[in-house]
Amino acid sequence: MSENVLMRVDGISKSFFGLSVLRCVTLDIAQGTITGLIGPNGAGKSTLFNIVSGFLTPDAGDVIYKGKSIARTSVTARSRLGIMRTFQTPQIFDHMTVRENLVVGCHKLSRSGFLSNVLGLRSSRRELAKMNMIAAGALNRFDLKGMADVRAGDLTTGQQRLLELARGTLATPDLLCLDEPSSGLNADESRQLRLMLEHLNREGTTIFLVSHDMDLMEVASTVNVLCFGEIIAQGNFSSVKVNPLVREAYLGA
Amino acid sequence: MTATLFIQSLLAGITNGFVYGLIGLGISVIYRGTRVVNAMQGDFSLVAGIVLYLCSEHLGYPILPSFLAGVLAGAVVGWTVEIFFVRPTRRRGGNEESFLLVTLGGAFAASAAALLFFGRDSRPIRGLGGDNLLDVFDATIRVHAVWLIALSIAVVVALRLFYTRATIGKAIMAASIDPDGATIIGINVPMMRTLTFVLGGAVGGIAGVLISPLITVNYEMGLLLTLKGFTAAIIGTLGNPFGAVAGGLMLGIVEALAIVFVSSGYKDVISMTFLILIMIAVPNGIFARRGRAGG
Amino acid sequence: MAAAGVLALAVIPLLASREVVDLLVFTALYSIAGIGVTFLLGQCGIISLAENVFYGIGAYATAYVTTALGWHWLVALVIGMAIGGAVATILAWPVLRLSGHFLALATLALATIGHVLFLEWDWITGGTLGIGGVAQISFFGCVLNTPQRFYYLAWIVVGIVFWLYSNLLDSRAGCAMRAMRDRPDAAMVLGIDIHQLKVKVFVLSAMVGSLAGSLFASYVTFVSVDSFGIERAVSFLLIAVVGGAQTIIGTIFGAAFVTLAPNLLSRLGDVHPLLFALALVLTVIFLPQGIGGFLQQQIRRLFELSRLGGDA
Repeated sequence: MSENVLMRVDGISKSFFGLSVLRCVTLDIAQGTITGLIGPNGAGKSTLFNIVSGFLTPDAGDVIYKGKSIARTSVTARSRLGIMRTFQTPQIFDHMTVRENLVVGCHKLSRSGFLSNVLGLRSSRRELAKMNMIAAGALNRFDLKGMADVRAGDLTTGQQRLLELARGTLATPDLLCLDEPSSGLNADESRQLRLMLEHLNREGTTIFLVSHDMDLMEVASTVNVLCFGEIIAQGNFSSVKVNPLVREAYLGA
Repeated sequence: MTATLFIQSLLAGITNGFVYGLIGLGISVIYRGTRVVNAMQGDFSLVAGIVLYLCSEHLGYPILPSFLAGVLAGAVVGWTVEIFFVRPTRRRGGNEESFLLVTLGGAFAASAAALLFFGRDSRPIRGLGGDNLLDVFDATIRVHAVWLIALSIAVVVALRLFYTRATIGKAIMAASIDPDGATIIGINVPMMRTLTFVLGGAVGGIAGVLISPLITVNYEMGLLLTLKGFTAAIIGTLGNPFGAVAGGLMLGIVEALAIVFVSSGYKDVISMTFLILIMIAVPNGIFARRGRAGG
Repeated sequence: MAAAGVLALAVIPLLASREVVDLLVFTALYSIAGIGVTFLLGQCGIISLAENVFYGIGAYATAYVTTALGWHWLVALVIGMAIGGAVATILAWPVLRLSGHFLALATLALATIGHVLFLEWDWITGGTLGIGGVAQISFFGCVLNTPQRFYYLAWIVVGIVFWLYSNLLDSRAGCAMRAMRDRPDAAMVLGIDIHQLKVKVFVLSAMVGSLAGSLFASYVTFVSVDSFGIERAVSFLLIAVVGGAQTIIGTIFGAAFVTLAPNLLSRLGDVHPLLFALALVLTVIFLPQGIGGFLQQQIRRLFELSRLGGDA
């Protein structure tokens, strides 16, 4: 495997109910890129995404991350390895405030154990204060100023997406996987999202992007097209757009 | 240990197994129709058993009407639980926890009420066929127990037909799988839910009148029966009535073997441990089908 | 307001009758065990009906160690907590992989198993006969053999345990717990090991349960199986539900209810199990946030009203 491939999806197959959903899917996510995955509905994008992020195990094939096989690694362990994902509907913690959501995002940055938390040791308190400070900094960077104490469940969809993204990047993941991040956003918010993704990418975060939104997909340097469980095209965005197989898959036979 | 003793234990285990299966059946029926795990199922049987006792022993009515009274009592309690416990919880936005807490509370209330009104004694009840016994390879089984097994199988078959052939049965299934869709095509979803509880109550009632002559009615039997019935339902996959009976059989046999090879005092420890192991190892039961998330 | 409460607590034993102080001691003991269940329910969404097992472990450990072995009460207490914690760790690891109604019923199964074992292992527990002559607690020669004296120890322990739990609430682990309760998938993705966290909270609740049990044994000096059955498990759950699972202070209300109600209704006979069960049902339906949560809501509303009034 070449040096700059961060994650390789290698021959992944998955069936449900005897119905084959993914058939020997292979794709590479190169370090430092934005790699996209598109495909018509029912193509198996969510299933592949869930396998990549650890919510499903494949029937066959492997997921190799930084040279190591992680197909059977738990979601939490993958998170510790630097993999982060978002969800189709923003999974922000509704009953907590915006600030508290961000503090949870700092969880991986801190280490104080359960016992020291219970005993209220100074090290534990100091660490929590630091997490709060980092959260406050993120509020500014992500344009959420003044909303620190708003209940996350009361935010608009666009704001929730932003929060989810902010929360997910506080611990600087190596690979950020985004599942339909622009769904529910208006044109302005989509544009803002696109700028944010480009910014994150410039700062070194590799991004794996699943989306229906063709405007957003323009940021991807490599696009994979999934149709009925198989990769039918791979390449940069402009070449994929004109690929006859892709056009057929989307426009129907 | 002789062969006769072994067969005797096995027969007892099979009989108990069908008992647990019937309880599990009721739990599965209610779960299938309303997605509520009914912690009161064993208490439906308790009430039916008490009514049976009152009618047949206390008031001296003949056996068959007393049995029917018991089953009816079970159905009525089922109806009461849905209207007064489950509906208000659902109306106030209850989650899975709330429903379980509510039915647990009902279960404890039922056994506390039984304690209050009937005290701590166990009461014996006559069964079908009186005290007659059948011989099976030198071991004996009460005639009533044979009736129990036969009727359990009949209930399973009847339920299967009900859900697949009867319009109401199919309506109940529709209301459970897709409440909004069912409402649009004119199915009265709240009524279907109530009906499910009535059905579950009736099944619990049948279980109660069949069980009571075999084990004698006392105020504590509700919760333990529910736990064992739940074990049966889980083994057989929650929501599958036939599976519950199969699961019950398995549990009954395991329990019988435990009594023979370990000791009768530990019988409940073994069956409860079995429940926990099953929930951990085979949570979807033996009749489960793996589903897929959309998309 | 808190200071007034503490002051009232300190003064009561000097004024109230022996019976009342006795009830308040039990309120304290149940608060200690109850906070374990409350926290599990409120912060982790776990319905635990197994707290009676750990309460029993603590009580029997103290009873056995001080009578059969003749050791010091403090040693017995620590042993009780250690055993409770160990048992909880072993059980929690597999069992807490379950969720929702599976987990609740698994804890009920555990409670049943515990009750049977307390009965069967009568060489330790004395079975239905119980163990008498349990050593009472003494500090520097002062024996806590009256309700008034024990009262202070009990409530000091309540203060300590509540302080520990409020530390936990306001910590990194506390945030993680609230996250995992809201959206477990998102919490996992952020690196929170949900299972490990649940186990730790469960073990903590087991240890405070054992602590309460040990204190109980030293107070009443006689323990028997009847105190550690399903009824007790329901009482503990009731403390969490009636008191309000989201607040720590609510636990005291729940514990007070569970202690006072049977006492007030004793004239009516054996009716309190029925009342408890109905209280559980009614609270779940009509007051899901419990007394504690309800009060918190009312206080918040009062503050907002007074603030609006001030602006007008």
